Amino acid sequence: MPSAPRSRPRYLRNVLVGCMAMAVGVLAVLSAEVRREMRLFQEEPVDSIHWNLTQLELDLVLLLSAAELALQQDNPPLDELRKRFDLFYSRTDLVRSGAMFERLDLEAAIRPLSVRLDGFLQRATPLIDGSDASLRAALPALVEDVQALRMDLRSLSIRTVEQYATQADQRRAQLARLLRQVAATSAALLMLLVALLGSVLYLNRQAERKTAEALRVSSRLQATVATALDGVIVAGLDGRVLDFNQAAERIFGFTRDEAIGQGLDRLIIPARHVAAHEAGMARMRETGKKKVVDGGRIQITALRKSGEEFPVEMSITSNSGPDGMIFIAFMRDISEPVANERALMAARDKALAAEQAKTNFLAVMSHEMRTPLNGVIAAIEIVGRKAVDPSQAKFVRLAQSSAKQLLRHVNDVLDISKVEAGHLALSDSPFELAPMLASLADVLRPVAAKKATKIELDIGPDLPLVRGDSFRLGQIVQNLLSNAVKFTDGGKVVLKAVLHPQGARTALLDLSVTDSGIGIAPEDLERVFEDFVMLDPSYGRADAGTGLGLAISRRLAEAMGGQIGAESEPGKGSRFWLRLPMPTVERAAPAPAPAEFVRTTAKDGTDDPVLDLLVVEDNATNRLVMEEMLRLLGHRSTLAVDGREGVKKARVHRYDAILMDISMPVMDGITATGLIRAEGLSKDSRIIAVTAHTMPEELERFRGAGMDDCLTKPMTIRDLARTLSAVSVPPPPLPPASPQPADAVLDALRIEELRQALGADGIRRTVAQFLRDTTAAMDRLRSAASSPAEARALCHELAGAAAMVGASHLHRHFAGLETQLRNGDADAVAAAQADSDRLWADASAALGALTEA
Amino acid sequence: MNSLRRFSAALMVAAGLLSAAAARADSLPAPQGDVILTVSGAITNTNDDGTARFDMALLDSLPQHSFATSTIWTEGVDTYEGVLLTDLLDALGATGPNLLAKALNDYEISFPVADATAEGPLLAYRANGKPMSVREKGPIWMIFPYDDVEAFRTEQTYARSIWQLDRIVITE
Repeated sequence: MPSAPRSRPRYLRNVLVGCMAMAVGVLAVLSAEVRREMRLFQEEPVDSIHWNLTQLELDLVLLLSAAELALQQDNPPLDELRKRFDLFYSRTDLVRSGAMFERLDLEAAIRPLSVRLDGFLQRATPLIDGSDASLRAALPALVEDVQALRMDLRSLSIRTVEQYATQADQRRAQLARLLRQVAATSAALLMLLVALLGSVLYLNRQAERKTAEALRVSSRLQATVATALDGVIVAGLDGRVLDFNQAAERIFGFTRDEAIGQGLDRLIIPARHVAAHEAGMARMRETGKKKVVDGGRIQITALRKSGEEFPVEMSITSNSGPDGMIFIAFMRDISEPVANERALMAARDKALAAEQAKTNFLAVMSHEMRTPLNGVIAAIEIVGRKAVDPSQAKFVRLAQSSAKQLLRHVNDVLDISKVEAGHLALSDSPFELAPMLASLADVLRPVAAKKATKIELDIGPDLPLVRGDSFRLGQIVQNLLSNAVKFTDGGKVVLKAVLHPQGARTALLDLSVTDSGIGIAPEDLERVFEDFVMLDPSYGRADAGTGLGLAISRRLAEAMGGQIGAESEPGKGSRFWLRLPMPTVERAAPAPAPAEFVRTTAKDGTDDPVLDLLVVEDNATNRLVMEEMLRLLGHRSTLAVDGREGVKKARVHRYDAILMDISMPVMDGITATGLIRAEGLSKDSRIIAVTAHTMPEELERFRGAGMDDCLTKPMTIRDLARTLSAVSVPPPPLPPASPQPADAVLDALRIEELRQALGADGIRRTVAQFLRDTTAAMDRLRSAASSPAEARALCHELAGAAAMVGASHLHRHFAGLETQLRNGDADAVAAAQADSDRLWADASAALGALTEA
Repeated sequence: MNSLRRFSAALMVAAGLLSAAAARADSLPAPQGDVILTVSGAITNTNDDGTARFDMALLDSLPQHSFATSTIWTEGVDTYEGVLLTDLLDALGATGPNLLAKALNDYEISFPVADATAEGPLLAYRANGKPMSVREKGPIWMIFPYDDVEAFRTEQTYARSIWQLDRIVITE
């Protein structure tokens, strides 16, 4: 994987090596050629041309002299001549055969000489080989012939030698060129070698530098990893540990030597996660897909050497090392942060629980304090109605006013708590502003009149319909008005309201209450809205509030998104103002009457029909009070201590109306109402909620549960009478068309109780158990007919079990049998066997259907 | 094998020479035909007043040797037969370190006796089974197996390849 720009020296080296290879190749070729040339020189396949031609000439001269000698003598000996001829003849063979000259490429050059010699020999040889006489006779001609040949031989030889010399020169030049080439190539090779050596040296130096650098980096990395605060574990694709740093030793408790070479699955992965780990590794090996690896930080459970499991935060990266893929895991022991987080969450949960407890406490207080107060106030009223002597009447009035005062205080405190706890639920419904304000003024006019103070209204004629919480707004206005009245004697209180449109659907309510009373000192102006502030503690003590009225008003105003404030001039009067954004509503239908605040006087109940009433109330005092009130109003009442008893009673008797408390132990009023509405003789009766819960959303809930009306505790006889006046007496009840609810196969009430107590699953389990047990018990009962004692015990058991699951028929049946058995009727079981079977079949079918539903 | 053959040949010649020596001072049989080679100088066995003269028959009585080769002077490959120089020198009991070879035309060449080996030179007097005439470089051609032995393809060897040989002198 050469990356060209990075490894320039290496590239250069490759080029050098290539050049060298080429040079070596060229050199090899040249060397072969030189060797061949040299061999030509060394193993000269030819004899010396000069020598041979000279010898040829010499032999010819000797032949000539032998022939001339023979010519000069009479009858000369011819042996020497013949010998010289033979020697010459043998010498010509070299030229005539031409083999040697052929090898020297001198074939053409020698050709004329060869032809010349052939011609001579053809003429001379017969003479030489002939008889002595003929040879002697031919001697003159022979001498002439040889002389001529000698002249020709000379010139022809010289020409051949010249040719040979030229060729030899060429060959030498060729050899010289070859040698020069070899030398050049060798020189080039040498230079290449030097260059290669240089590049090798350079590369070596670079490699050394890189090695040193790598060592430095590696030692730095080693130190970094070793001293890292996080545990660092390096593992191979086979899951075996390759490295294990100090932090990892500290975290996991294994030493580096113990860890290295071990599988992660044996080391730090809890046994129950090993399979998942191996599956993950296998998947990655096969598909190369990574999930945890390179997947950022995860939190897992790891194992220490001690066997302790603990949470770690981990991230794994992968890297392709020289030995294949490796994984580097960075691990942080987060058992402490996790523990801290848990502690923090526990603390938060505790705080939330405390907050919830406070809220619950408020709710309970709302009930627990107001309910007895309700009883007290009602009781005092009843006492006051009875003829008492004037001195007692005074105390009764005192008691009455004190109780009402107390109730107001309780209400104030609870209001403040509610707002503070953020539990103030504001209703949002359309209402008419003008009538509401007018009715508030009306309520206070009698009080004002006693102090010779007039209340005037300054309200625009065409106020639009607005949305909001009329009750809370009324509470503020009432507070402001009553304060104004309280501090004004013989003066005037003006309630002014203007709506400034702010948009298509909103307006700003600008409301003020101005009095001509004693006024407030400037330094006290801000304080008046603080909690428990009473500017003049001595003033009007008997009628004094808690000092919370303006504080509540401020909180309410702010909760509704408004502002409240006051201006005053001591001695001249005060002006309290309220600015509140209020959505306006199209006036499509007549607005509902502000029922809460327009208190109508109840008619005297003398003409009213006598009603048959059921009072469901857990508080004994309240029960007593209500019973007494109803008696005074001339009605008949039945009492029930909780929802469950109330449902039972309502089922078997038709009441004209049921007064239902909401918060009750065992079964609350809402649940009880639902059950009464479900079945029974009173299912169409009017049901009136009696509650201290006065919130609008609560009222909605009551209506949803099937209640028709609502009485707010504490109630007065008047309230009660008015509410009951809506109850009409129905025609006398018709005989029941369906079986009496009490005769139902299953007791819905009981089932409902079970459902609440056990939940759907619990009921299913219980019913299944009941069906199993009863089947067995029924069998035993059949076979136990001969033993009345055993039969009686079984009947008792069956009756109990049937009652438990609400199988009322079955319960009554077996209870009856038990009684009969106790009374000595030993055959009762046998006689009632058919009934037992039928009822059992009905009950089990009904229960079965119930659990399937 | 070669040396054994040469040894037995030497024994045989020696035996012949010994029997001749009983009658005359010369230990070699006298030539009956035309003398084609005369060896003189530092030799032990002679047949004519300190020299050894050979005719064809006498040469034939010595160990025969032959090889085929081409030469730079001839065309094609020919088979040459004759007596190895070393065998001849052995037979003559030559004691000198050098020898001088002379041809009919008085060409001569000198070289150390030690250069005569079992490989060559061969004193060839038959080419392809026929006696060689003077015109065909006869009667004796001192020839080397140029084709078989690369070392013989040198100028020095070519100079020693004396033809028309008729005299050898063993010198001190």
